[in-house]
Amino acid sequence: MTTPLLKVENLRIELTTRDGVAPVIDDLSFELGQNENISFVGESGCGKSMTALAIMGLLPEKIGRIASGSILFDGEDLTKASPARLRAIRGNEISMIFQEPMTSLNPVYTVGEQIAEVIREHQGLGRKAAWDMAADLLDAVRIPNARGRVSDYPFQMSGGQRQRVMIAMALACQPKILIADEPTTALDVTVQAQIFDLLRDLRKDTGTSIIMITHDMGAVAEMAERMIVMYAGRGAEIGPVEQIIEHARHPYTKGLTSCVPHIVSQLTEDRARLTEVPGIVPGLKDFGKNMCLFASRCNHRTEECLSARPPMKPFENGQIAACWHAEDV
Amino acid sequence: MADTPNTPLLTVDKLGVRFAVKRGGGWGKRAFLYAVDDVSFTVNRGETLAIVGESGSGKTTAALAVARLTAAYTGSVKLDGQELLGLEGEELRQARNKVQFIFQDPYSSLNPRQRAEDIVREPLVSLTDKSGAEQQQIIDRLFAEVGLRPEQKRLFPHQFSGGQRQRIGIARALATQPQLIICDEPVSALDVAVQAQILNLLRDLQSELGLTYLFISHDLGVVQHMCDSIAVMYMGRIVEHTDRLSLFNNPLHPYTKALLSAVPSVDKKRRAETKRILIPGDPPDPVNLPPGCRFANRCPAATDVCRQSEPPLTDHGGYHRVACHLVNDSKTAAI
Repeated sequence: MTTPLLKVENLRIELTTRDGVAPVIDDLSFELGQNENISFVGESGCGKSMTALAIMGLLPEKIGRIASGSILFDGEDLTKASPARLRAIRGNEISMIFQEPMTSLNPVYTVGEQIAEVIREHQGLGRKAAWDMAADLLDAVRIPNARGRVSDYPFQMSGGQRQRVMIAMALACQPKILIADEPTTALDVTVQAQIFDLLRDLRKDTGTSIIMITHDMGAVAEMAERMIVMYAGRGAEIGPVEQIIEHARHPYTKGLTSCVPHIVSQLTEDRARLTEVPGIVPGLKDFGKNMCLFASRCNHRTEECLSARPPMKPFENGQIAACWHAEDV
Repeated sequence: MADTPNTPLLTVDKLGVRFAVKRGGGWGKRAFLYAVDDVSFTVNRGETLAIVGESGSGKTTAALAVARLTAAYTGSVKLDGQELLGLEGEELRQARNKVQFIFQDPYSSLNPRQRAEDIVREPLVSLTDKSGAEQQQIIDRLFAEVGLRPEQKRLFPHQFSGGQRQRIGIARALATQPQLIICDEPVSALDVAVQAQILNLLRDLQSELGLTYLFISHDLGVVQHMCDSIAVMYMGRIVEHTDRLSLFNNPLHPYTKALLSAVPSVDKKRRAETKRILIPGDPPDPVNLPPGCRFANRCPAATDVCRQSEPPLTDHGGYHRVACHLVNDSKTAAI
């Protein structure tokens, strides 16, 4: 890999809560290559969406801030960029689709107007030209009768179609990076398959890099080359998807893969008990402690885990795991 | 169901639920949405039947009708030989004891102003004649059974995590010692790591207490882990119904095949073997259903017969029921 498209280094994001300041992202580093597809995996409250919002420059104002670290996009540090510069990048070079296609579209504007707005803002096209392009985009995301549907309101469309509209909007300016935050969680599985198919094709055609946030290991296996497992604001494990699924080096990754019943190629009568990951993700007040935050839920726990934060241990095959006992997992 | 040695606890026959919708051509003309249409199935004692399908397929409505939480306009629901549809008053109250419900969302299905123990007490108060001391004894036992600590009895729902709340929901469902428990998407609102805790608990309780589950879910991975047999619903009808292994290893209906092929998998072998069957378009308008098979407009194998007459749900051997004209057709088999 030559210079990565996106390089996040030692990122720390602090969130001000009633109980004080909590590092919701704590020393996170990762890279995204040209035309690469990576996935963030983890339970809710582990900082997956927060990372995405930081890249987009959309952290909640006055509550969240980037305390240290850098986000290098094409060599430019986004943490130091002005609001105007961020506005020019957002939706243009980096764009995002959200989990809820029902609530992320404006109900009182037609979908055409909403897509055209992006085009006019970033590409300076006129009303007519932008509208025509919106119709073309709807066609590209495989909405049947796109010319007719472009003047529909969001309520006139199904969930899958609304998510396609979101994708059309996100792709309007041919971004270099598309961030998809749980793009199919609210959708039925056959619709999810259609959306995945669409994303795969678009990536092939446009060369866009995709960051997908999900909690579904199956989706990761289908869509991504590398994954980043997050736990309590920290990277737990990073590496190639196939390898991690085969042999995870972090107990949390292992738990995430084996706690879900999977459909395998030939089912048998044998149904093993699901592996439980006991307990839940720690609360914000525990974030940032100098210990392994997964320790309370881990069956590999030793004294070491409670007394110091484990470093990211690199393995020869490219996997990196933040666990004191990674070699034994 | 002569093939199965176990006796059926629940027998649902030609169940229909419809909703009046304001639509249609003329003045004052009522149109109906047939949410559940001609649905028949049985659930054996101590077993789990899963009903799967996508949103709008009618799976939850069918379950609600079985529990008498929504009204069926036709058909029969027999629990342990007793007809539930048509029961009223005290008889209905007694019957409700035997069928309990676990809801999808543990955040909105618990009263935020009640303490955990009072939530679990509710069915005992409204459906049984147990004394206060008996109620307390049952509550204590249930808390231990679902893995909650005794001191948590006095807490309010907001003081629990999602998984713990679902445990309260399960304790409430168990309170009246029901024969049938309907689990409507019991883990889909929970984080993946917590799902395993609840699924294991449900299976443990089933083997300890001999419970029968009607398990509603859209997550086929969860379903394959939990059920003994599966009914696949599409647009209000069952399109395929058989035991777990037959359905997953040898699906016959084109919709079931498409559904299974759409599930992303971590299993490398399955990914290599599975040919993704994309079903284009959207389901038809449920109020103005086309004649013929409801899946015909999206089915890759559909022929003229499919667009003209509705296929009945027929047994294709070994209690593998399929509603498809082309089930023995080579074209369908090739999908």
